[in-house]
Formats: sequence, structure tokens, C-alpha cells
Amino acid sequence: MTQAVRESLPASARRRLDPLSVAVRFQSVIGLIVVAIGGVIFSPRRHGVILFLQPDNMANIVRAVSETGIIAVGMTFVIITAGIDLSVGALLSLSSVLTATIMTTAGLGLIPTVLFVMACGAAFGAAQGLISTRFRLEPFIVTLAGLQVARGLALVISNNQYINISYGDGPGLAPPSFAILGDRLFDNVVPVATLVFVVVAVVAVFMLNFTRFGRYVFAVGGNERAARLSGVPVTMVKVSVYAITGFVSGIAGIVHAGQFNFGSANDGTGYELTAIASVVIGGTSLFGGAGSLIGTVAGAVMLGALANILQLNNINAALQLLATGAIIVLAAVLQSLVRRREGFR
Amino acid sequence: MTDAPLLDMRAITKSFGGAQALRGVDFSLKRGEIHALLGENGAGKSTLMNILSGVIVPDGGEMRLDGEPVGFADPRAAQTAGIATVFQELDLVPSLDVAANLYLGRELTRGGVLDRAAMRRGARERLMALGIEFDLDQPVGELSVGRRQIVAIVKALTYASRILILDEPTAALTAAEVERLIALTRQIASRAVGVVFISHRLEEVPRVADRVTVFRDGRVAGETSPKAPQSELVALLVGRPLAELFPRRGETFGAPALRLQGAAFRPTSARPGWQAPRDVNLSVRAGEIVGLAGIMGAGRTELLTALYGAAGPGRWSGVVEIAGERAKLSSIADARGRGLGFVTDDRRGAGLSLRDSVGRNLVSAILKRVSPGFLMSRARETELARKGISLFDVRPPRLELAVGALSGGNQQKVVLAKEVLAEPRLLLLDEPTRGVDVGAKQEIYARIRGLAAQGFGVLVASSEMPELLGLCDHVVVLRRGRTVAEFGPGASEHEVLAVAEANEQREAV
Repeated sequence: MTQAVRESLPASARRRLDPLSVAVRFQSVIGLIVVAIGGVIFSPRRHGVILFLQPDNMANIVRAVSETGIIAVGMTFVIITAGIDLSVGALLSLSSVLTATIMTTAGLGLIPTVLFVMACGAAFGAAQGLISTRFRLEPFIVTLAGLQVARGLALVISNNQYINISYGDGPGLAPPSFAILGDRLFDNVVPVATLVFVVVAVVAVFMLNFTRFGRYVFAVGGNERAARLSGVPVTMVKVSVYAITGFVSGIAGIVHAGQFNFGSANDGTGYELTAIASVVIGGTSLFGGAGSLIGTVAGAVMLGALANILQLNNINAALQLLATGAIIVLAAVLQSLVRRREGFR
Repeated sequence: MTDAPLLDMRAITKSFGGAQALRGVDFSLKRGEIHALLGENGAGKSTLMNILSGVIVPDGGEMRLDGEPVGFADPRAAQTAGIATVFQELDLVPSLDVAANLYLGRELTRGGVLDRAAMRRGARERLMALGIEFDLDQPVGELSVGRRQIVAIVKALTYASRILILDEPTAALTAAEVERLIALTRQIASRAVGVVFISHRLEEVPRVADRVTVFRDGRVAGETSPKAPQSELVALLVGRPLAELFPRRGETFGAPALRLQGAAFRPTSARPGWQAPRDVNLSVRAGEIVGLAGIMGAGRTELLTALYGAAGPGRWSGVVEIAGERAKLSSIADARGRGLGFVTDDRRGAGLSLRDSVGRNLVSAILKRVSPGFLMSRARETELARKGISLFDVRPPRLELAVGALSGGNQQKVVLAKEVLAEPRLLLLDEPTRGVDVGAKQEIYARIRGLAAQGFGVLVASSEMPELLGLCDHVVVLRRGRTVAEFGPGASEHEVLAVAEANEQREAV
């Protein structure tokens, strides 16, 4: 009898698909498709050409979302552990200031500068993770403080001035190759910033889904006590995810500096909220334990595409905020419906 | 009018999606009667009680209360009609204290301001009536499961003017508390309240119930007198005679896997309500199952978690040996490194990630073995998870199913299998069959014994004396953190209890 059960395993192992949970699983992808179709329909046309679909316009969308997208990818790790990181926008700003300052004063060279800034970001994030785990503080509070600290450091270092980056081959000049971050490749179509986003996302997808570390992240978020009792190094995992958000914020800050040729202590404001919105729209649960990076990426691009359509039609920014808010609520409601349907006793 | 039963449910049907949970069930309850309801998980007893308490609306059938047809659209309607339920999942607010929980939703006020003094007084009186002493200021979340259960029962009593439904009220209680609860239940019934008593513990049924109804597969399998022999009840429950609840005992044992002599664990900072192991002498040999008896608060869970390095900062003193070597057991990593495995008594809170799949839960304690390197090996993961499923015959045997969707018994099998897959030399089990039906219990016992036969040492803490005496090769009694006696397999429940509960008054000072 048990033998029969075991043999029938592969057949019965096929998941019975519930349309609603499938919809939620891919909600941001579906949302992105809907927004894209809407974009085509509502796009202004010039000489019969759909402006929304113009390569230039598409490139603009993916370039505009690359910074928050990079951050959202890291944020996905944190949120899967049921945490939150509010410091990312400020850390982006601090990283851009650091990058610009080092480029224009220290003359460290491109690679050392970039590595140093990313290491600083990771260290900043890890410090927040350590404080949060060591003193059992809510990550909300710790990273809220981290936001202030990062912003404050950026202001101190930059003296509240734009630090402009000039390129060249002498003291006080940044290596010209750094300017590539503002360029487009492949027939002037693909923005380099977007490529960075893609690379970060691919590496992250790999880490989350194909490594033991990724499994630890899910385990900690699913049930921290169970994970601890199962021998999962919970503290290490938590510190690591904040190091990851710090690290990607560093990357985003470098991209920011490279795209705009300056470092500024006042940029990146509100990026943490856009990133969190992308993650939530992407189907990752704020309760932790479940989530998808593909969803996050689609969520980020969707928000960018939506903003783009509204801009193309000259609809004012206030309406954009309303639309974004409505989408976040919709995504959350869908998730809650599925949770209720699963109805775990 | 007085001849009409208090409650008369007829031909009740209910289905969820495609699954028929109730297939035309009749159930009645008289005033002052304690009616025991037995049935395996999924037999339909919880569904019927959910209908009675207004949580679920039935598809068909008729329900009469005092002869009047009734139907409850929501739990509040049932409450208003004088029906109250104590669910297994206790509806308490963990962050509020005992008094606040007892008055939740009906707070006493004085001029619009909470009258804390009056509520504390009332709470103390109600608890005193049960002979229970509570620190009323303690948040409920800090209480043990057993004490939380008591608070929930006391809370429900405020509403139950006609019918009180107790859903496995004794699952987490010690023998002494069970007696207290039974006495209390009788007292309530004597006030012409009908009591529905759902239980998994067959042995307590004759002592508490006036009448027994057994459910199976959404039907009433039979009604019988509580004096009926246990074998008859079991046969009704599982639909076939069950050979033996407990497997044969072990015969040969190996070297000690665990030896404690004068062992004590001192937490770095004092923890109120946490009974530290103070003077523990016991050994568990390879192939042996040792039981840990003791009343609630005797320190059973504390001993197991401290051995597992999961009791927070602190250190062991005295002799603590794992497989003949001195061990510090100061962290979970250290304990696991020495081959200890632990199964918590709180499978939902600390054992499983409920929304995650069965497969992922099964391998969560052996991820290092699944993938020694950086990358996950999906093939190896599936292979090991399958092994876990077959080790405990988890049903349905589907790796991708969310573990929270399984029945309680199968969830418990997953928790056990997860630890067994890690191949510990010593397995620490805390209440391994809590909230599990008879059929699953038998399977779990058989498998624990099978593991011991393979050379595992097993230390089992349980509040169910028959379980300890039936399963274990010997039983050690713990009292206030000390081992005070040891019994062989022939001991009687009475003997062990006498030792476990002795000197309570004197030592309590």
C-alpha cells in the first residue's frame, strides 16, 4: 500500500493550479503587460508612430527605473526575511557623494573607487543588521536612524554642495571611462545603467534561488524560531541581507554619480519607498517567507512604464502618485485574498 | 418543553470545495450533560462545532436550541444565544495581561475609564474558583501553552450560559490540571449547561463524559457509553481494530548517548517562570527511549531546550556528557555539532514554516548536507525530502504542498522527519504527539521505536503519562528542575504521578 503511494508520487506531485494564486504569483508581470498594452493604446502618436514604443522612449523607461530597481532587488532579500530597510535612498546619496569626492580628490582610480564605495555600502548595511540583531531592535527603527546618519554623513562630506565630476587625465579629474554609466550601448539603445540593473538582478536571482544562502533567507522569514532551532545561522543571515541592501545602494549611488556626473547629498529621497513598492507589487510578502525577484523587477519596470505613459500624455505628477498608490493597494489586496484562501489552520 | 433536548442537530451537511466534510450528521446535547466528541483529524467534529458556534454556515440540515429552530450567521450570534467555544488556537492577545484578556471586549469601566482594579479583582476571583494562581500582570504571551489554555477556558466561561464547547482542552495540561478541569467541567454542567468535550485522549473520556459520540469520515460512526472499553472506542475511531497503540520495547542498548550527573543549567539572567534544570541525573543509551515525566512547570521543556543550547545565554555545570565526551552545549550549533536533534512542542510557532512547502521544511535542518558547497542541489534536496516523507509516511506525500495545509498529525510527522533526516545520535522530543489523533499517534510511536532500534537515543518529554509508560524503556521523573525518581516499564501511572506531584506544597514555598 505504501509502495503504491510512493510510486504514484511524480504524478500527484504536480501542483493543482489555483487561478488566483497564479495571478498573484505573476501579478507584477501581468501588471507590466497590462501597463504596456495601455501604453500602446494611450500613447500619443506622431505621424502614425506610437511614441511609447519608440526605442528612445523604452530606453528612457528602463534607464529611469534602474537605480530604484537595483535597490529593490536588494530590498527583496530583506523583505523576505520579514525585515525592512529604510536607509537605502540616503545611502545611495552618500555613495554618490563618496564616489564623486574620491574621483575628484583622491585619484584612486576607477576600479578601487568603485570597490571602495560598494564596500562602504555593504559595511553600512551590515552595521545596521548587527545593531538590529545584537540589541533586538526592529529593523524599521535601526534603518530609520541609518537613513538619518547616511544623509548626515553625505551632507558633511559634500558640505551640502553638488560635487561635480569632470573627466580627464589629471589631478581632480575623474577617469573618462567612468562616464560610460551615462551612455547607451548597442546602437545607442541600451543604457549602461540598465545593464548594471540587469546584472545585479541576475546575480540576485541566482543567489536567492540556487544557493544555500537563498534558502536560509526564506527559512528565516518563514519562521525565525523554527529556522533557529533547525540550526540555520539566523544572525548571520539577517546581517547579510542588510549588507546586501547596503551593497546595492552603493552600486546605485555609483550609477547615480556616473549618470549625472555629480554627487549630491540631497538625491535619492523617497527611493526607499519606491523600492518597497516595487517589491510589494512584485508579490513579496511583507510578512516574510515568500517572494520573487522576477516579480520585483517587473514591479519596478511597471512603475516606470506607468509614470512614462502619464508623462507622455502630460498628466500631472499628482495623478501619478494616485495611480501608484492604487496599484500598491491592489497588489496587497490580491495577496491577502490568496492568504485567506489558503486558509491555514 | 423540558423534554426537548437542549440542542438537536439533524442531518447537517457541509462541503468545502469538492470535499464533503459532513455527510448528514445528527447530534444532540442535554442540559447538564457532558457529551464527549471523538474522531480523528478531518473526521468532521471541528466542522460540526464550528457550525454550532457560528463560524461556519451549514449547507443543509436543521438545528434546534431548546426546541426552537436556530441558525447562526456569525460567532457573535452564537455567543448571544449562550454558546461559547474554547478553540485549540486560543483567541487571546499575547501582549495583554491575564486580567485584560479575561475582560477583552467587555472591559469594565467607570465613568468611561477602564476600571483596572475591578477587572483584576474579578479575574482573581474567577481564577481562584478554579484553584489556579496567576500573576495577573504577566502578558499572556509569556505564559506556557498550558496556562494560556486555562486563561482561554476561564474567558469562555463568561459567555457560556447554555452550551460550552471545549476543543481538546486537556491537550496541554498536566494530570493535576486535567483533574481540576474535569471537576470544573462537572461543576459547569451541574448548572444545566450542556458541555461538548472534544478530546484525543481516550483515557480521560470515561472520567469526564456522560455520553460519547465518535465521528469518522464526516459521519457519526457510533454512539456509546463512556464505560465502553477503549478498544471499542478505537475501533470506532479508525474503522478497524487497531493492533497495539505502542510498539514493542527495545531489548539491547548500546553506550550512553547522553549522561547527566548532578547537571544544572544556570541562565545568565534570571527568568521568572522558567524552571532551570537544577540537579539532573539520567542517561540515555543508544537504542533507548527514555521518558521525562513531571507536572507542568517541573522543567521538562526547559531541560530539553537547555540541552539543545536553545535556552538562551547560560551555562551547564556538573557532568554533561554526549557519547562519553564532556560537552558545553552552549549554543544550538554546538549541540547539533555533537549530534543532538530537538523537536519542539510548538510545531506551528517554532517547528514549521507553514506557508513553505513540505519539501523545503523537511530539508531546512540539513541544508548543509543537501548542498555542502555554495549551490543548492535540487536533485539531492528532492531525494532527501522524499526520504523524509517515507520515513514518517507523511500524507499526502506531496513535496510541493504548503505544510500548513496538512492535518495536525501530518504536520507533526514533518517536524519529526525534519530532525530525523539530520541523523542525530540523540533525539530530544518535546510532546511528540500533541494534538495528534490516535491513528497518527500509533504511527509516530512505531517510527520512534524504529529509529531507536537503529541506534538513536531518544529522550521524550510528555504530559501524557500513558504515552510515557507505553512508549519508553524507562521514565525519569522531574520535579522543580530535579530528577527525583526513575521507573521501569512496569510502573503504573498512579505511582509515577504520586512522585511527580509529591511535596508540591512544601517546595512551592
